[in-house]
Amino acid sequence: MRKIPEAKPLFIERMKSLLGNDFNNYMEILKSEPVRSIRTNTLKITPEKLKEKLKNKSWIIKQPFKEYPEIMIVENNLEPGELGRALEHLLGYYYIQELASMLPIIALKPKPDETILDLCSSPGSKTTQMASFMNNSGTIVANEVSLGRIKILASNLERCGVTNTIITKKDGVVLCKKLKKENFQFDKILVDAPCSGEGTLRSTLKTYLMWNIKTVKSVSRIQKNLLSSALDILKPNGELIYSTCTHSPEENEEVIDFIMKKFNDIKIEKISLPVKSREGITKWQDKEYLEEIKYACRIYPQDNNTEGFFLVKIKKLK
Amino acid sequence: MNQLKILNKNEKQEILNKLNKQFGINNIPGIIVKRGEEKLFLFSGNFNEKQIKNLERTVPIEGVGVYFAKLVKEEIRLSIEGTQILKDQINQNIFELNQEQTNQWMKGQELNIKTGKKGFVVMKYKDNFLGCGKASIEKITNFIPKSRRLKN
Repeated sequence: MRKIPEAKPLFIERMKSLLGNDFNNYMEILKSEPVRSIRTNTLKITPEKLKEKLKNKSWIIKQPFKEYPEIMIVENNLEPGELGRALEHLLGYYYIQELASMLPIIALKPKPDETILDLCSSPGSKTTQMASFMNNSGTIVANEVSLGRIKILASNLERCGVTNTIITKKDGVVLCKKLKKENFQFDKILVDAPCSGEGTLRSTLKTYLMWNIKTVKSVSRIQKNLLSSALDILKPNGELIYSTCTHSPEENEEVIDFIMKKFNDIKIEKISLPVKSREGITKWQDKEYLEEIKYACRIYPQDNNTEGFFLVKIKKLK
Repeated sequence: MNQLKILNKNEKQEILNKLNKQFGINNIPGIIVKRGEEKLFLFSGNFNEKQIKNLERTVPIEGVGVYFAKLVKEEIRLSIEGTQILKDQINQNIFELNQEQTNQWMKGQELNIKTGKKGFVVMKYKDNFLGCGKASIEKITNFIPKSRRLKN
């Protein structure tokens, strides 16, 4: 077990409220190193061929899901940074991606020939995963507001050989408004919103120190605006995934409750995932959320030995 | 990003002719977008030129498709992705590396090899396509970008 920073008392109190008896299991798994998961970039190589190449390096590879052979766990104790320095990574044969972070695209199910907006796309893990699902056809508009993060996004799209993507640089809310004005609409949208990152404690220890309730409240407002704007440019019958890597209900269920009450032409769809997930909550502190929010998925680290995540699928009605 | 220049049919054909002459390539699967004077990007999405231009008028576009080739005087140098995307069509000016040479190549080192070729050659190790090098009488010059190099 490694040494981890002490979590802030308010964070502990909130997680106890969310998890009840399971809180100790949660705290226990946070002490362990995250699993080394990678995703085969099927635009360049098949999972079988990649597995063979990695086995030749004496890496022990596990494919945890029969229906998603592209997802692999490297079970060896590698040197720090070894996954990123490997020739196969430099050539774009795989993407280092936390398993829970792969779930939004599995739920979105991008198809060839669809037009998809990835509203907050850097560093590009989900954009490259989308492109793989689409076999580089259709079109992805990958948006990012920060120039620094666009460079990281562009570099990852290049390394993965993604040819069906247009990168735009705009604040997400402004982008959606401008696209709406020009009558752009999308078959599918991913809003992988900026968040307080509570789900990333295992891989990003500094989150323990950075966490504060003010951030939770302020990003919640941003998330509501982003999601509302995105829904305005979703086609009728179109599907949208809203996801965060955090557990706080203010950034998750509260955002969904807000937009469900604002829009009368949307509904929440059930999601089928290859991992254990828990229902969205309908009560938090003094607030009550709509009953159908239970169809959202909460991913806790202790359930699947992953990071934490939240995702929900919203469908626009005709 | 510099303003997008989507190559028209004749301009695309001109690029294809060069790629055919250098590497035997017969088909470029998508729209070619030129950035600056030299860099060529390949876009395989279903947005047509009009839709891309319309999007560009609406929001700043930072990139379209993937960097796949660079115009160098009268020749074309394929990037790592360029060689990988077009690998099934490349049938000439290929230089096959051994494991040791591949290691050197991916570290960004030039290779002191007499290839008997002159100009851009596609570097290949087994089924891995590793971009282009420039062959001269006694060496192959390396163009692997720093971010893609193996560390010592």
